[in-house]
Amino acid sequence: MAYVALSEAEKTFILHGVEEDFRCDGRSRRDYRPMELETGLVSNASGSARLRLANTDILVGVKTEIDVPNPLTPEFGKLEFFVDCSANATPEFEGRGGSDLAQELILSLQKAYESSLAFDYRTLCLIPGQQCWKLYIDILILECGGNLHDAVSLAAKAALYNTKLPRVTATLLDAGVTDLIISDNPYDCTRVGIDAVPLLVTVCKIGDYCLVDPSAEEEVCSTVSMVVAVSMRNNTGRCGGYKMLRPFITKFLSTAYLSGTHMTGGGSMHRETMLNCIQLGLSIGEQLNSLLVKMLKAEEQRVGPKRPKTVGFLK
Amino acid sequence: MLRVAPIKNTLLDGATITEQLYTTPKDCEDFFESLEKPTEVKATPRSTFIRAGVLTTVLGSAYMEYGNTKVLAIVAPPRELMRSSARRMNMGVLNCYVNFAAFASGELETVPEREKHLGGMLTKALEPLVCRNEFLNFQLDVRVLILDDDGCLLSTAINCCGVALVECGISTYDIITASTACIYKNLVFVNPSAKVEELLGQHRGADSAQMEEHGLLMNASMDTFEQLAQCQQCGYMKPETFVKLLDYTLEINKSLRQLIRRVLTDRVKEQHVLDKKEQEAERQEDERLAGIIARLKEQGLHEFIQSNIKEDPYTKK
Repeated sequence: MAYVALSEAEKTFILHGVEEDFRCDGRSRRDYRPMELETGLVSNASGSARLRLANTDILVGVKTEIDVPNPLTPEFGKLEFFVDCSANATPEFEGRGGSDLAQELILSLQKAYESSLAFDYRTLCLIPGQQCWKLYIDILILECGGNLHDAVSLAAKAALYNTKLPRVTATLLDAGVTDLIISDNPYDCTRVGIDAVPLLVTVCKIGDYCLVDPSAEEEVCSTVSMVVAVSMRNNTGRCGGYKMLRPFITKFLSTAYLSGTHMTGGGSMHRETMLNCIQLGLSIGEQLNSLLVKMLKAEEQRVGPKRPKTVGFLK
Repeated sequence: MLRVAPIKNTLLDGATITEQLYTTPKDCEDFFESLEKPTEVKATPRSTFIRAGVLTTVLGSAYMEYGNTKVLAIVAPPRELMRSSARRMNMGVLNCYVNFAAFASGELETVPEREKHLGGMLTKALEPLVCRNEFLNFQLDVRVLILDDDGCLLSTAINCCGVALVECGISTYDIITASTACIYKNLVFVNPSAKVEELLGQHRGADSAQMEEHGLLMNASMDTFEQLAQCQQCGYMKPETFVKLLDYTLEINKSLRQLIRRVLTDRVKEQHVLDKKEQEAERQEDERLAGIIARLKEQGLHEFIQSNIKEDPYTKK
């Protein structure tokens, strides 16, 4: 993580703030910093999102490519993550300095998205066993102000929501060879399902307390943190008999699942503390997820399919 | 095995024919059928062999067999940090490197990636264990060589490194033990074999219409203060399942801990006996020398020198 020099007195100040449930910027332990989210601003990518979480700035672009599916999973598409820690985020990323951090972020994302229950790989299928979409999720870290895991996963989910795959029709030629025709109309497209796409929540332990969304300064004070990948999933299969009521029921039936957790930060914690951390992460992830989906839908309604012309990229 | 390696045949004119191996999602199920399934969950470790101090060339080394998984760990004493950029941290730096022996795993393609991944996770797990404040501005290199891979690689490596660190005399807060458990198709596998782990990795063939939990949990714990040094989970599971697997691994860790303790105390005793022997030999040598000196005093110097001169067989001729 980015290095911030803090004196003992400053650390104690932060620690006392956490104990009082009143952190340096006035938040409580369960609050996030203000977020700014924009989607669809990179014209060359199929989907994109920019997230600014206080000082953390993330830009995500999704590129698409047609690939051959793995024979073991003929109906599944593919995902690939790439994280670039640019040197203007912090001077330490210069050269190869950011590669460790990038590797860690890629790994946690890969793990979280690995399960077919977390990300519906079937929506990326074109012709089973022959052609599928491969999505390249390129994540660029523009500024590093703490809590990268959460910011990156939020931005990735938003970018996936924004991703538009051109509609593809296939014609069967001789000898079982298929020919793909990609639609010319840029508005004729399919979307990627993001219902169960996981979000990473970092629960940070400072002193005896756990908190979410640590700032860069708070990260320096923490002994250990836990990254929890939360995936919301509604088991619609169970309420098959009540089809009419399903939209109402599912709202309450959607439960939080873990799709990957690990500890980071060089400390250890007690079993009970860890379970508390996971519990906190799950409840925060649930709220975050519903808010994100709500905001994405609101943005789409307001802006519509065509973006108004913006001048300048970073406003 | 479930591996899929498309074979490329390059023709003389540069064209290639890709040969598709006929693997289908059904292979996963057949593979699963062929596995030995546990009838009940027994939270016990596999048959284990640990030995500290197997190499004489390095200060700390340990060898461990966990079932068929064989791992060798090497710890060298801390050395000064080369990079000045990392120097301003208030802790020593721990670096772990994992290497697969060329014959350890059948699949060679993903080995560099797995080595990197395992190295990173191992560093994370050992960081809370080592008293890093004791060697400021120094770095400690831990190297692991995997001789045979039959699942539970990371946890075995952690156990082995824990022993090697103690053998090297690096101060640690506690003894670390680690174990793995996983769930697949509602069956809990403790200490999953390489086959089960592979199946989990390829799980994606499962039907997502019916909700099925699957996933793997690796847990490294330090039991004196009931601390968890690392807890890593992948896959997709309910929090309740997570807790269940966690408790299984904690139980295994407890019995492993006893074993490791015994190994370490035995090692100390063995070393003590060796030291005693060495002392005895030294004492005998001293005695011999003392005898010579006493004789020397009795005989007087000249006679002693004469008695010790041996005729040179060459000058005699």
